[in-house]
Amino acid sequence: MDQYECIETDTVEDVSVVKFVDERMMDAARIEQLGSELMDAISGDDNDRVVINFENVSFFSSAAVSKLLVAEKRIRSQGGQLRLSNLRPEVRDVFSLTKLDSVFRIEDEQTTAIKTLQ
Amino acid sequence: MLERNIPSNPDICAKLMQSLVDALEDFGWAEREIFGIRMAMEEAIINAIRHGNRCSTDKMVLVQMSVNGDDFIGTVTDEGDGFDPEKVPDPTDEENLERCSGRGLALIDNFADEMQYNATGNSLTIRKRK
Repeated sequence: MDQYECIETDTVEDVSVVKFVDERMMDAARIEQLGSELMDAISGDDNDRVVINFENVSFFSSAAVSKLLVAEKRIRSQGGQLRLSNLRPEVRDVFSLTKLDSVFRIEDEQTTAIKTLQ
Repeated sequence: MLERNIPSNPDICAKLMQSLVDALEDFGWAEREIFGIRMAMEEAIINAIRHGNRCSTDKMVLVQMSVNGDDFIGTVTDEGDGFDPEKVPDPTDEENLERCSGRGLALIDNFADEMQYNATGNSLTIRKRK
């Protein structure tokens, strides 16, 4: 799967950076597709350090959170590390209210997140 | 009062939520409040579809929403047998943190001012004050 519809991928300072295309993660079929694309993008030996940048995201449901959890487990099982960055305060609330900010390491900015992976 | 009887299809929920957001914006609700109400209602509807109606295509979900400049009240009723919300595992407990589901009720509880199930457990009312 080389062409993605739900995510954009880039490499910055040898770190894989993933951004979401959709501003609102609501549609069930789209969230399923997001999960598949995310898993494809983070698989492989070259993807042991990943930043997921939320700058485009204004809404993130618990169903979308579950896709992130699966991705985090995959990255961890590959010996890698994941950072989340650029979350709006209300989206960050989704993680803090469910205590998932203890599972995911969240940084304010992408540059900071990349630095923590160097 | 916005009232819709929708089939057990999560995709239809997204369209209904857009109507809700439009109404909240018309009444001058702040972006963060709109986020919380939308989050609570979407999670309630998805729970009703998946856990209440078990995605059965012949079962419907009744969504009733009332909004003005001061208050939002939403009720979501499914055709399932109901459940006891007290028996839902706490997703913030250490052993449940990495489970891939079970966060919907916790999010509703946090984003709404009040949430109340009926005695059967198949109808949830959510309240939020501006």
